[in-house]
Amino acid sequence: MSKVLGILNFEPSYVYVKGIEDFRPISAASILGRYRVIDFMLSNFTNSGIDSIKVYLKNRPRSIVEHITRTSYNINSKRGKIHLLHGEQEFGNNDLFNVDIQAFRTYMEFVDVENPSYVVIAPSHFIFKQDFNELLNHHIKSKNDITILYQNSNNTDQEFLMGDILLMDDRKKVTGFVKNRGKHKAGKVSLETYVMSTLTFKELVNEATMTSSLYSLSDIISDNCKVLKVGGYLHHGYCACISTLKAYYDANMRIKNERELTRLINDDWPIYTMTNDSCPTLYKPGAKVTGSLVANGCQIEGTVINSVIGRNVVIKEGAVIKDSVVLPDTFIDKNVKLECGVVDRLSIITHIKDLKGTKEDPIYIKRGDRI
Amino acid sequence: MIKNNMVAMILAGGRGSRLFELTKKVAKPAVHFGGKYRIIDFALSNCANSHISTVGVLVQYESILLSSYSARSSTWGLDSKGGGVYVLSPREKDETGLGLYNGTADAIYQNLDFLDQEDAEYVLVLSGDHIYKMDYEKMLQTHIDSNAEATIAVIEVPKREASRFGIMNTDKNDRIIEFEEKPKEPKSNLASMGVYIFTYKTLKKYLREDAKLSESSHDFGKNIIPAYLNDKLKLQAYRFKGYWKDVGTIDSLWEANMDLLKDNSGLDLFDPDWKIYTDDVSNTPQCIGSKAEINNAFITQGAIVNGKVDHSVIFSGVHVKENAKVTDSVIMNNAVIGEGAKLNRCLVADDVRVPDGMVLGKKNSDEILLVSKSLIAKAGEENE
Repeated sequence: MSKVLGILNFEPSYVYVKGIEDFRPISAASILGRYRVIDFMLSNFTNSGIDSIKVYLKNRPRSIVEHITRTSYNINSKRGKIHLLHGEQEFGNNDLFNVDIQAFRTYMEFVDVENPSYVVIAPSHFIFKQDFNELLNHHIKSKNDITILYQNSNNTDQEFLMGDILLMDDRKKVTGFVKNRGKHKAGKVSLETYVMSTLTFKELVNEATMTSSLYSLSDIISDNCKVLKVGGYLHHGYCACISTLKAYYDANMRIKNERELTRLINDDWPIYTMTNDSCPTLYKPGAKVTGSLVANGCQIEGTVINSVIGRNVVIKEGAVIKDSVVLPDTFIDKNVKLECGVVDRLSIITHIKDLKGTKEDPIYIKRGDRI
Repeated sequence: MIKNNMVAMILAGGRGSRLFELTKKVAKPAVHFGGKYRIIDFALSNCANSHISTVGVLVQYESILLSSYSARSSTWGLDSKGGGVYVLSPREKDETGLGLYNGTADAIYQNLDFLDQEDAEYVLVLSGDHIYKMDYEKMLQTHIDSNAEATIAVIEVPKREASRFGIMNTDKNDRIIEFEEKPKEPKSNLASMGVYIFTYKTLKKYLREDAKLSESSHDFGKNIIPAYLNDKLKLQAYRFKGYWKDVGTIDSLWEANMDLLKDNSGLDLFDPDWKIYTDDVSNTPQCIGSKAEINNAFITQGAIVNGKVDHSVIFSGVHVKENAKVTDSVIMNNAVIGEGAKLNRCLVADDVRVPDGMVLGKKNSDEILLVSKSLIAKAGEENE
């Protein structure tokens, strides 16, 4: 097998998850009760046999550094490596200049050291399951210069906003990108996952640098669709682009039953995450829980309907949690009614008994808040 | 934290034959417990939380799973430099050839070279099949303060049950003056928990002498402790207050699991200062279906519940299907409870598939029904 380097890119500037992102990059946000967003893409890499991975970080690296260094993503700890690359001085203050190309250029020597034949570049704000080996084999077989993973969506007026939509000709060749401004219902959504030779990658980074300091990798690929052979590879199944609070909420709420859950995560495609050594969850007499995903370490006395409950959450009697996402280490006191909410970590809800958002605009409770 | 060189030795070689099929292919300490744990996690986590860095696990019966499991020291954070979990199985020796462990004391005797190599000053001898949380560091402090040669952890048991245990009779300073194994008429209610701290130098001498005696059963309770008492060595009792359970039978294993549903059992697994560590398996979160009904349950990740669960403990990867009803039961790893099946007072072994509609166990039954693969096969034949 040719040597392949995994590159986990940081989120582009269109991503802003209100509230959640004030405290950590979106890749470090808790998802589906027991994971962090980044676990899905890192597990995609390691499950595909790619055990050399560079993780580029934009800012506030603390939570990601802690999480990655304490998680075993199932790679040989001597031969494989997850390498964290975050800005030191050159970038970090001004988000405008904080584009991925700058990060790639700054740390190109670490890519050179590995001397891979191919790079697989994946985004850190998406959740999907993809065998990158299949993608790479397709790339090699089709003799593409660049292969882009995409998904057909009939919901582009609601989701994937400001992401890239691929324009393709009838021979499946990508002719360019347009920004999704939500004007059309359907489109081929770029999953911001690219395979190319290391040589092409380096050429693109150089070219982008010379073109404009604001250029991102997706900009320069879009420019090159006319001169390079850029192909698409269709992805099927669950796919979430976590670019807004609503998208974050929906990504959690979309898994409704065990069939959908085990299609995304199963014994053949495990998702690795940090263990917290929490004990199982205690459902006390009187608890009512239906249609929900629940992590370990919770103590539930109240009612939970269609929700996602993170680790070590306490829900007292009489409380009703409906259509909500509750992040780890949260305390929900007696008789609190919460509907369509996102409750961030370590918060305590006691005094305000009625919290209600809508599915379109979920209410957000700040990390560590006491209300 | 006291600077010490106490090496823990966990006796984990027994079969646990009163657990029947549960221990057919795995040793008792490796049997699952409490949703996500194995029984030996309690002893190993207690060691880690008590700042013990070197732990020997003495294995013998069906040891493949137990050995590979225990050897992953990092599971309990016991992977510091110079420390670790050492799996000690019977081995072939230059002078004596291949010999099995023949009694608890013999198992330690055969590993004196290991204890020498680790430069042990104190030896903590534990059983690998008890459920409890205990700070061995405090016990060592008592051992040192009282100048004892051996300290034995004791727990108060109800007088009427005392004749089932090894009973320690003590003076007013908790010095042990007499030891009686399962006495018909117990003089005290202080039962030995099978947790001993020995000053190594003295222990080594007594183990060597005991090894020479052909009539000895090479057992701590039957031989070593009586020999200490006989020679008037100082034996101290260390009173333990809290939850402690020997899970040697199906009924007691079921009971200990059920204790996890109580608010006041004394076994608090939620305490962040004394976590019980276990293997980190990649599981999905618990998936509770839209028709599920859960009333009082202890459920761990990887479980899928679509039926009714009442007063039960559900382990990793268990699937309770639609309209199934699980009451007062313990469902072990990856078992599947088929649609419409009804279970009452059962302990379902790992990987068992209970067919749709099967009814097992009875409310108010005297004994807990062990639901094993062979029981399901037999029930299937009878139906045909």
